[in-house]
Amino acid sequence: MLQKPESEALPILQAEGEKDGGRDGETQALTASQKEVPSPLLQETPKEDLGARREEGAAESALTPKGVRTLAAKALARRRAYRRLDRTVAELVQFLLVKDKKKSPITRSEMVKYVIGDLKDLFPEIIARAAEHLRYVFGFELKQFGRKHHTYILINKLKPLEEEEEEEEEDLGGDGPRLGLLIMILGLIYMKGNSARETQVWEMLRRLGVRPSKYHFLFGYPKRLVMEDFVQQRYLNYRQVPHTNPPECEFSWGPRSNLEISKMKVLGFVAKLHKKEPQHWPVQYREALADEADRARAKARAEASMRARARARASASERAGIGPW
Amino acid sequence: MGAPSPRSPRPEGAAAPAFLLWPPAVGAAPGYRALSHPQGGTRRAGVMTDVHRRFLQLLMTHGVLEEWDVRRLQKHCYRVHDRTGAVEELEDFINNINSVLESLYIEIKKGATEDDGRPVYALVNLATTSVSKMASDFAENELDLFRKALELIIDSDTGFASSTNILNLVDQLKGKKMRKKEAEQVLQKFVQNKWLIEKEGEFTLHSRAILEMEQYIRETYPDAVKICNICHSLLIQGQSCETCGIRMHLPCVAKYFQPSLEPRCPHCNDYWPHEIPEVFDPEKEREAGPSKVSKRSLRSRQH
Repeated sequence: MLQKPESEALPILQAEGEKDGGRDGETQALTASQKEVPSPLLQETPKEDLGARREEGAAESALTPKGVRTLAAKALARRRAYRRLDRTVAELVQFLLVKDKKKSPITRSEMVKYVIGDLKDLFPEIIARAAEHLRYVFGFELKQFGRKHHTYILINKLKPLEEEEEEEEEDLGGDGPRLGLLIMILGLIYMKGNSARETQVWEMLRRLGVRPSKYHFLFGYPKRLVMEDFVQQRYLNYRQVPHTNPPECEFSWGPRSNLEISKMKVLGFVAKLHKKEPQHWPVQYREALADEADRARAKARAEASMRARARARASASERAGIGPW
Repeated sequence: MGAPSPRSPRPEGAAAPAFLLWPPAVGAAPGYRALSHPQGGTRRAGVMTDVHRRFLQLLMTHGVLEEWDVRRLQKHCYRVHDRTGAVEELEDFINNINSVLESLYIEIKKGATEDDGRPVYALVNLATTSVSKMASDFAENELDLFRKALELIIDSDTGFASSTNILNLVDQLKGKKMRKKEAEQVLQKFVQNKWLIEKEGEFTLHSRAILEMEQYIRETYPDAVKICNICHSLLIQGQSCETCGIRMHLPCVAKYFQPSLEPRCPHCNDYWPHEIPEVFDPEKEREAGPSKVSKRSLRSRQH
């Protein structure tokens, strides 16, 4: 089932593709028997029907100047047609990769609508080549399923990873180590009563061998990471402490940290670091328990309202007679 | 699968598929060879193995990666699929993959962050497309917001567009009506997905957007677009000569003026009035990013 946002977004892909004229002059479709209306992108190519002309051309024989020109024009038209076919295959490959990222199956009609267009009679050839590219270049297999076999998904054919390899892969892209650094900072902030002075944060990091302006092989420039990235991504709040002279700044948890992790989890992490139990810090432990209770309540409320909405939707669609697609 | 199966059986991951070397069968006259055809067999494409495939899959997942991450990624792929093999030099490794990607009109492109020249890599379209890669993650009105922000950024002198100016355009967006509050969150989504960078309430393009959209930008905004005098690539942030107006990326300035004691404009030879940033060196300790300094210099030029 197509979700609304996707169908809104993709026409832009198509519309812009037609506007930008990035494809060079196209000829008509390649099937011999058809006389196609020239596409709007057609430029100065000879408006010929390749199939019908082939017999004519052969009869005309290549050796007159006119014959040579005709053959050259036909060769040019053929090359352009092949280029267009290649482009369409390439676009279909990209389209399938992008759609697969969203984990939604792709239908044949979507492919025709957004990528293939008036080459739709060549669909079997196009999809076969696209499938081969996906297999050879990316290691994906294009699989058909569904009642009429007009729905497709991509399956990863690369061998599955061992557990340690999987962990390694999660670390890549810098997120793992960076988030580890973030948790250290969140822990410090929490243990210091929900805010920590900037100097305290850098002191802790220095003890870990991380200096603000020295390029670190895992974190890049730590100062940029902490002061800019984490703050921009709303993991940390950074503000000036009022009435301090010289002015000092402090960090606190940002809204995104509250969403993605909990006080209890961070306390657990700090506890493990010190090889102790979370209860070793009674004040923080009590606060974390209260936080857990709050979260449980909020979650229960959210689930209850979701169930109510689902019931309302179900009875509405029942009345309207809409079934699953 | 209902579609015809591949032409010939081949060992897993070894030779290139048949159609990369043959011209397509449809409509082919006997004896026809496409010489100017990108797939026409005049260029021998590299060979893909599972090492390369996993590398591509992971690079696609991340969108854009810094060079040190890319090296770790490459080593990881060798460890998983080819433990005993020697890890190929990164540049050759990538060129090998790119030769195969050519027939798909995509490539792994190397660029650099505009503020301090850190090398980055992304998988980009070679054919001109618009914001198509974003199209799957964002709704129509969100894409239009991005386009509006993009236009403001390109038109600006500093390469930054203020949040206020972008949000003021919210009424002009195509698609579903968007409130300013919502638009603020959409802008944050762009930052998180590495399409925009935010600095002090202003937005500029992430190196990912520059890599992926350079061609589109140059073709869509040919009059407003700025080009670096040294590397001739798209320029969003940079320094400019106050006399003749030519512009240069900060890392290009760093490299160009590195040996000279008295920096002079390469075009008009006038004294270069800005602070020269340092060349990016992962080993050296220095302040993270000279962007604040140069932004001030650029701003002072505005009036």
